[in-house]
Amino acid sequence: MLQTLPLASLPYELPELVTRAPLDTHRSTVLPEWVDWNGHMNVAFYVTAFDQASGAFMRNMGLGRRYVDGKLGMTFVLETHVTYDREVRKDAPLRFTTQLLACDAKKVHLFHEMYHAEQGYLAATTETIVMNIDYASRRSAPWPVPVARRLEAIWEAHKVLPRPAKAGRIMGLSKKA
Amino acid sequence: MASLRSARMKLPPYPIINLDLAAPLDRHRATVLPEWIDWNGHMNVGFYVVAFDKATDTLCEQFGCSFEYTRQKIGMTFVLEAHVTYDREVKEGDPLRIATQILDHDAKRLHYIHMMYHAGEGYLAATNELMLMNIDYASRRSAPWPDFAMDRIEKLAAAHARLPKPAQAGRLIGIKKK
Repeated sequence: MLQTLPLASLPYELPELVTRAPLDTHRSTVLPEWVDWNGHMNVAFYVTAFDQASGAFMRNMGLGRRYVDGKLGMTFVLETHVTYDREVRKDAPLRFTTQLLACDAKKVHLFHEMYHAEQGYLAATTETIVMNIDYASRRSAPWPVPVARRLEAIWEAHKVLPRPAKAGRIMGLSKKA
Repeated sequence: MASLRSARMKLPPYPIINLDLAAPLDRHRATVLPEWIDWNGHMNVGFYVVAFDKATDTLCEQFGCSFEYTRQKIGMTFVLEAHVTYDREVKEGDPLRIATQILDHDAKRLHYIHMMYHAGEGYLAATNELMLMNIDYASRRSAPWPDFAMDRIEKLAAAHARLPKPAQAGRLIGIKKK
């Protein structure tokens, strides 16, 4: 099998690395077009909002828009698990935290929490697997070398965090609704 | 709570479509819209769930708990939990077929999985396992399915009970440690 080699460097300057654990830089607001006929943020747009939080984590690794625009690579989500814990309404300010649960040569396993930024309650969580993709072949590839180096530093900071209670869930009815 | 408007409602004040007992339920069709595409040139992860949520509406129409149910202020359905597997990319204009299998249910909840296929090429593009809960409109709290819905959910579940459980149902997320 042909093995894609990791990019040795990236042709742009990387942002300052944040190793704070969990990562807590991402903020968002519930947009009017995210609200459905139930008068709250629709299930799909929680996923969109969480995807933007994954984007913030990726930018911290050095994989922002320039990674795609420079035709170097992309990142694809393989799988996602969402818990919907409480409703959020139009214009609600959102705050996210992101914990790195695991990583390997091509993938990261992230856990996000979404909070109402003013009222403080937990609105939702998501667990997601993101994979690095080679731009030309559109197939999986190892992280570029500088990205792998950053990921190692992030992992050192995150690996000491306790595992979130809502991570690793399997769906099912407990028969006690 | 007996005060709930939806409780023990025998028939809703609007027509319900004829029950489709083909298993899986295979009625939902869609097309990948231009605004569903992201900078990677394929349908964005959030819009897969938009497409799946519309397939949930198609499912809920089967038991009378879709748009009219909410518009007439009887009840709503809220998703408690969701699991998505992204199996293959789809591009702008691609035709989609979404089939739905009921996995389990109880007095207030419904557990099911959608399978999204490229309708032309036939490949599996994604799956979405969901836990849906019935909500009373006035109190905005969980409530038992109305009688008309429960009766139909039971018939659908019985029709789907013979189907094998899809491999994508009941998955645990993780990556192998190095």
